[in-house]
Amino acid sequence: MRPFGIRLGMFWALFVASVLMFVRNRAAVFFSLFLPLIIMLIFGVLNFEGTTTIGLGLVDEARNGASEGLIDGLAAFEYIEPTTGSREEQLANLEAGDLDFVLVIPSGFDPLPGQVTGLVAYASTADPGQAQIRQGLLQQAVGTALFAPTGTPPGGAFGAPPVSFESVQSRDLGYIDFLVPGIVGMTVMQLGLFGVAFGFVHLKRTGALRRLFATPTSPAYFLGAQVASRLIICVVQVAILLGIGIWFGLQMFGDYLTLGVIVLLAAIIFLAIGFAIAGWAKNEDQAAPVANLISLPMMFLSGVFFPRDAMPDFLANITQFMPLTYVNEALRAVVNHGANLASLGPQLLGMGAWAVITFLIAIRLFKWE
Amino acid sequence: MPTAIVAVHDLRKRYGSLQAVDGVSFEIAEGEVFGILGPNGAGKTTTLEMIEGMRPIDSGTAVVDGIDVTADPRGVKARIGIQLQASSFFDELNLVELLELFGHLYDREVDAAALLADVELGDKARSQVRTLSGGQKQRFSIASALVNEPRVLFLDEPTTGLDPQARHHLWGLVRRIRERGQTVVLTTHYMEEAEELCDRVAIMDGGLIVALDTPQRLVDVLLGRGFTKARVERLANLEDVFLDLTGHDLREEG
Repeated sequence: MRPFGIRLGMFWALFVASVLMFVRNRAAVFFSLFLPLIIMLIFGVLNFEGTTTIGLGLVDEARNGASEGLIDGLAAFEYIEPTTGSREEQLANLEAGDLDFVLVIPSGFDPLPGQVTGLVAYASTADPGQAQIRQGLLQQAVGTALFAPTGTPPGGAFGAPPVSFESVQSRDLGYIDFLVPGIVGMTVMQLGLFGVAFGFVHLKRTGALRRLFATPTSPAYFLGAQVASRLIICVVQVAILLGIGIWFGLQMFGDYLTLGVIVLLAAIIFLAIGFAIAGWAKNEDQAAPVANLISLPMMFLSGVFFPRDAMPDFLANITQFMPLTYVNEALRAVVNHGANLASLGPQLLGMGAWAVITFLIAIRLFKWE
Repeated sequence: MPTAIVAVHDLRKRYGSLQAVDGVSFEIAEGEVFGILGPNGAGKTTTLEMIEGMRPIDSGTAVVDGIDVTADPRGVKARIGIQLQASSFFDELNLVELLELFGHLYDREVDAAALLADVELGDKARSQVRTLSGGQKQRFSIASALVNEPRVLFLDEPTTGLDPQARHHLWGLVRRIRERGQTVVLTTHYMEEAEELCDRVAIMDGGLIVALDTPQRLVDVLLGRGFTKARVERLANLEDVFLDLTGHDLREEG
């Protein structure tokens, strides 16, 4: 069978060989599948939930001095992470589980001690165990921000709480929902970088590659089979990780096809980096430090285990351009919020740019011998 | 010569300042076992690899089974079998899987069991190459070069590093291949090997062929020049021819 002149039998044989070589290589299977699983289990057991910060969405419909004063006052609290936006945006974020409260400042806002402020906070139904504490913290913060400068005690003269609450049905996103997409991104990175670099450099160093090209096969078949096998292995690994994640309570809000597209695009970026290293390095000793130098910063700075919000601004600004950051953002948008490709423009643009850059570097650095 | 299955004309290859092969010409008849002898660095392997299509040719021509190597290296590779000097295979695959994979690279189904039986490795079918002994590795390497029933089999120092038993075993295999009518081109350091196996030998030194004939005639020529051994047991053997032509000094690979 030779559709378009492609020898399917030759490609298939190389593909099967490539899969067998990976599956039978214990080190490759351990580092690319079991290690991410172990990391996921460890972080899943540690469970970094229950932080006392409050994600507060602010909707300023007053736009006067009083509302600005309140917003500035709230921003001064360390445990409040404020964002501003329209009512629709913020309520959508609340439902998606990104915020704990949406505080609406009504038009004509002019708070006076002892009078009803008109402030309404929509509260997330997620994490009910923490709800009372969070509401108390918000009341206190708003009271302080409004009246502390005038010396009036929080709560007003008649002790009426400044904020009234309304519940909004929201997604209850736990740490597992944050962690699993990050682990998926990390696994794709590790597979691309390490799954290719070491195996390929080994074949190059021992001369197995040279033996292959003593036959009439073309390098394109070998490379094609390698890439195809890694992509398939990658999809299987992601499926396993997601399956185990779901068993541990991960909620999947997106569709699997969209997720698959993100995973494949990510795999292409990291495979290109892997082939660039493999094509450049003469032996495993040259490949290892470079692969680690590329993967370690991303593992810790691209938001695999912890939200990147916790980083200092300068670091967050730099690391937002790393390939794995785009990948993780896109994966989380799909898994946690059911995003579709159309709403992932910036991430897809970033990933696409990296795919082109890494592919060009790989072509430039690649040497067969 | 009836039909030349390999025809090499004025082949040259330069690496930087080193003229590795400096105008080599010869023809090999179908069914012949042809030896290329020479000290390390004489240009044997480079010559072989240029004929095989494994290395670009600077100038000159090499035609194998009617196909010009420069014009169609894959066409040549499809018709020949190559045993590289340092052959290595995919570690995770067993012998049968490797032979079947190599078969597919030539677009054909192979009888792996028969090929392994051919090189007396039938009982190692499910082993991996790394578990084989040196002699077994070389025999497997030859089996892998036979999957496409090649018109010409190229063996680059097939017995280097083997003990005498393994070497004699391999000689038996080469003779059987020859009896089937396949042409064999081999390089070697061992004069005894060349005398045992080769119909004709080319002796290379410094990138040139310094002698080309049957082992017996080369010896006769040397004796005809009045050569005598210091201690006469046999009048002379091919090793004397070799050393006479290429010098006695030990040479290390550069």
